[in-house]
Amino acid sequence: MSSDRYSRQSFLGPNSQDVISRCTIAVVGLGGGGSHVIQQLAHVGFQRYVIYDYDVVEESNLNRLVGATLSDSLAHTPKLHLAKMTIFGLQPEARVNGFSCKWQEKPEPLRECQVVIGCLDCYKAREELEIACRRYLIHYIDIGMDVHGKDRPVIGGQVIVSSPGSLCMKCMGFLTEEALAREAARYGNAGTRPQVIWPNGVLASTAVGLALDLVTNWTRSDRPYAWLVYNGSDHTVRESHTLRNRQTTSCPHFSNADAGDPVFKDL
Amino acid sequence: MSIQFKLSGATFREIIIDLQRPHRFAAERVGFVSARLGSLTGNGKLILATRFHPIPDDNYIDDPDVGARINSEAIIGAMHAVYHGRSMREGIFHVHLHQHGGEPRPSKTDWREIPKMMPGFQAVGHEAAHGMILLSADHAAAWVWLPGKAEPTIADSVSVIGIPIRVFERRALP
Repeated sequence: MSSDRYSRQSFLGPNSQDVISRCTIAVVGLGGGGSHVIQQLAHVGFQRYVIYDYDVVEESNLNRLVGATLSDSLAHTPKLHLAKMTIFGLQPEARVNGFSCKWQEKPEPLRECQVVIGCLDCYKAREELEIACRRYLIHYIDIGMDVHGKDRPVIGGQVIVSSPGSLCMKCMGFLTEEALAREAARYGNAGTRPQVIWPNGVLASTAVGLALDLVTNWTRSDRPYAWLVYNGSDHTVRESHTLRNRQTTSCPHFSNADAGDPVFKDL
Repeated sequence: MSIQFKLSGATFREIIIDLQRPHRFAAERVGFVSARLGSLTGNGKLILATRFHPIPDDNYIDDPDVGARINSEAIIGAMHAVYHGRSMREGIFHVHLHQHGGEPRPSKTDWREIPKMMPGFQAVGHEAAHGMILLSADHAAAWVWLPGKAEPTIADSVSVIGIPIRVFERRALP
């Protein structure tokens, strides 16, 4: 491999490629958001992946699924396969643990990761993934988008960083009991929501940027949490007002006392 | 079987700050880290540090032959931590810092003294993993006594989940 390959990103730090290559990163959900994320992680130089998606390519995915072609929709190619093709095309030596199932059905590989990027479409799934990340000491980055309204549709989205020992998605005000209850009333069905490629690209790029910052700390921000709000009407990404107005930086919902495999306690 | 050790950036920072503090007579400091077990693929084990226990200044014994010697109160404190963590399968790891860079290796004194503590820890917390963490200026390694094992296994990696992330991999250790 030419030493020139990463010369344009050497500002990330003198040993940054070494650190990036030793970091194990998971992407849960390889659809509209996850396909962008995978592509960028492979370009940046990540070598160790744990990836999950049980879905196949359909015609309705072609408006946003990076790497998918018409023939993939006809053949119902697994999204997992597309992700592997993208990774190996750029990183032939990469170690990819891919699973065509929900992460909960094969949770052990996820635990080895240092970073997990969740590209999920419902609150409950986000909550469960964040809990796992806290329990097994993993940085969690969440991305998601939605389109609200019919007469004058508005695109919204979020990129969230939740790190062990710091604010979680409940502390930040993103994951609320009301949102979880509303979703539960629909039996957890997120429904067929509008999805388009360009917000997914913005959100995925922001998530990869935040992941690189966690891995290398090239910005020297030292900030273990973030909630960035995407506004598709004015094409901006800004820090959430809700988060900015929070007075605390400690999390009452998770503690180190919850780390490790759950065990039964004698009463 | 893969063994991986993880600790948060906050715990790592707390350890480093404490171990680098000068002591009145001891040439170096030591401490203990509580840690819990997680399961990985193929019977692999994940060891997750939960908190650091610094050794109080007056629990060091003045012994010019070694960098640091701790008294029975310090050991009893570690045993108490194991006892209170039994229901959560929380074990304890001796931790200290070597000043050089590179992958740290236990000194002869480390090998002579630290493993002696393990049978006691295992007697109190027989379902937990115990062991030793060695830090250097730019690396880390962990020796893990899994439940029921008389000999340690070297962890494949020690990860610090902070900012930046650090992943210290086992390289030349036998």
